[in-house]
Amino acid sequence: MSTTWLPCGTYHQSYVKDHGWWQTSFVYGKMTLLVIVLFIIIPVFCGDYLLSIAYKIGYTILAALGVQLLIGYCGQITLGHAAFVAVGSYTSAMLILYVPWPNFLFSAGLVYPISMIAAGFAAGLWSVLFGLPSARVKGFYLIMTTMAAQWITVPLVITQYVSRIGGRGHYFSLPPGTISIGPWAIDSDRKIYYLMIVLVCLCLLAMANLLRSRVGRAWIAIRDNDIAAETLGVNIVWYKLVAFFVAGFIAGIAGSFWISALYFVSPEHFEFFYSLWWVGVILIGGVGSLHGVVFGAMFMVLVEEILRNGLVAMGGWMPELMLVGKFDYFRDSAFGLAIILFLIYEPNGISYRYWQIKNYFNLWPFSY
Amino acid sequence: MVKTNEINAGDILLELEDIHMYFGKVAALAGVSLQVRKGEIHSVIGPNGAGKTVMMNCINGLYRPQRGNIHYRGQRINDIKPYQRAELGMSRTFQKVEVFGGMTVLDNIRLGRHIHFKSGIASGSWYLGKTKREEIKHRTFIEEEIIDLLEIEHIRHTPTGMLPYGLQKRVELGRALALEPELLILDEPLAGLNLEEVEDMARFILDVNEEERWKVTCLLVEHDMGVVMDLSHRVFVLNFGYMIMDGTPEEAQINPEVIKAYLGEEDLYATRG
Ligand SMILES: Nc1ncnc2c1ncn2[C@@H]1O[C@H](COP(=O)(O)OP(=O)(O)O)[C@@H](O)[C@H]1O
Ligand SMILES: [Mg+2]
Repeated sequence: MSTTWLPCGTYHQSYVKDHGWWQTSFVYGKMTLLVIVLFIIIPVFCGDYLLSIAYKIGYTILAALGVQLLIGYCGQITLGHAAFVAVGSYTSAMLILYVPWPNFLFSAGLVYPISMIAAGFAAGLWSVLFGLPSARVKGFYLIMTTMAAQWITVPLVITQYVSRIGGRGHYFSLPPGTISIGPWAIDSDRKIYYLMIVLVCLCLLAMANLLRSRVGRAWIAIRDNDIAAETLGVNIVWYKLVAFFVAGFIAGIAGSFWISALYFVSPEHFEFFYSLWWVGVILIGGVGSLHGVVFGAMFMVLVEEILRNGLVAMGGWMPELMLVGKFDYFRDSAFGLAIILFLIYEPNGISYRYWQIKNYFNLWPFSY
Repeated sequence: MVKTNEINAGDILLELEDIHMYFGKVAALAGVSLQVRKGEIHSVIGPNGAGKTVMMNCINGLYRPQRGNIHYRGQRINDIKPYQRAELGMSRTFQKVEVFGGMTVLDNIRLGRHIHFKSGIASGSWYLGKTKREEIKHRTFIEEEIIDLLEIEHIRHTPTGMLPYGLQKRVELGRALALEPELLILDEPLAGLNLEEVEDMARFILDVNEEERWKVTCLLVEHDMGVVMDLSHRVFVLNFGYMIMDGTPEEAQINPEVIKAYLGEEDLYATRG
């Protein structure tokens, strides 16, 4: 989607330029600044608490990215995405724990990266399996089949069977030092943050590139008008399955990343609530926009944090608020309300506001 | 089927043989046969509800006729899916515009070239080498051959859903042409356009049919007979699932059955141009 809006008075001399990401020196400067902030300023100057919020945002971005791809770009509504993140987490954790890797792979710090890629493929294929009905059904019925993915994967396969492997009880914990990439053991919030920011940048970049080349255009065409897409040579069944694969792949990466932050995996991290939560992220951020994923994830995680802190502060006068589980009620109702308000007052999401403001400055000094 | 000697079999691009298409008990097409020769503009006319759109959907693969054969370049294509027919060089526009509303005009036209693009997920993700080269190559083609021809330079970055109807029809034509089709099916391309837009559209159709660069065979559906007479080499008249005649425009104008089928339709010979 190269709807690039150049600042007033700027034109391109060649198509090559029009196909670039950073088309003007102004954008170049802005993006360089962003890179400096993300890779230097935040990790150096933020404390562990802020960094942990930051990588939670990153995890939410990675998890919601696949939801955005399916719903926002391919028109395939999914309510089971937590299943694929779960498959990623468990694949990665089990590969690390149960495969007798040769020692040099461990000492070279390659096991975790290998398991992450394997997690991507496993989750991608699992997702394709549940995407198969999309060849036949649309809308409501597809929602039901993706929900089936959730129920079959998490409460059934993972809780009842996978979690029992090794007799460790309900969760797999990963001993310190098993999660390392090359020479770096991922053992501090700062390192988790770095891993997160690299993964988020890679995934967003790959997705943005896909969306402006053959595959992504086919997805968007299917979303906008599947019949027209088919008559123009798009094999819609195939491209839907590719969308399910890529969405699942990224979910697998997200799941595999998340074990580095959790150090243990258990089914409650992948409950149905999260599948809904990530749909909420794109509804609030903006459906059909990569910016929307980022803004939505920031909004959801930050508001959750503010609610939590506010509740802790109020707990001084109203101790009953501090009861276990109370927070979840507050959070869930707050987000239910937020989603409703967004759907009514800003149905295009935060990203649309952002786009309007950006356009205003690009067209400056003319207001029309 | 009786074939006249003057038709050389090699020249036939598309052939329908005794096509029957039922919806429940209703016969939308009841034994329709048609031959479209390379290079011609073959029009299909008939009153509303005659089955013209159903016929196009059968040719294009959106509907599968219960009986009869469809041959394209001598190959039977009944069992081939619409996207595979596109790969064979068939392209179409729709009666009600079916553009990709959320995509820009440029992306709509790029999608029309889908079958000419090659890159997959791996190279597409990084937009390097192969993908970048092909994107630039096709962009050049689109700018020089399509956007230039259809005079839509000013809207190339506009989301198509935001354009007025007439321009959307034009974008839809551009998208169909981007496939570089051998056979172009146009389902009422002039319906709903104003006078000026009708003239433009008719000129584009003539251009792509006649210009050495394109030489596209057109199957043109029109409800209105008047406009058709100037454009087409042959006219096929359909009336509620049955063929009334297939001949030159002059023959159609004097055919008593055609006139009867249109009786009561005031706009029979009312040309808009
Ligand atoms: N999908 C469908 N289901 C049932 N009936 C249909 C369908 N498509 C078309 N028809 C019927 O077929 C007949 C021909 O329609 P159509 O081809 O659209 O006419 P037109 O010549 O105006 O394009 C109409 O009676 C219409 O009701
Ligand atoms: Mg019609």
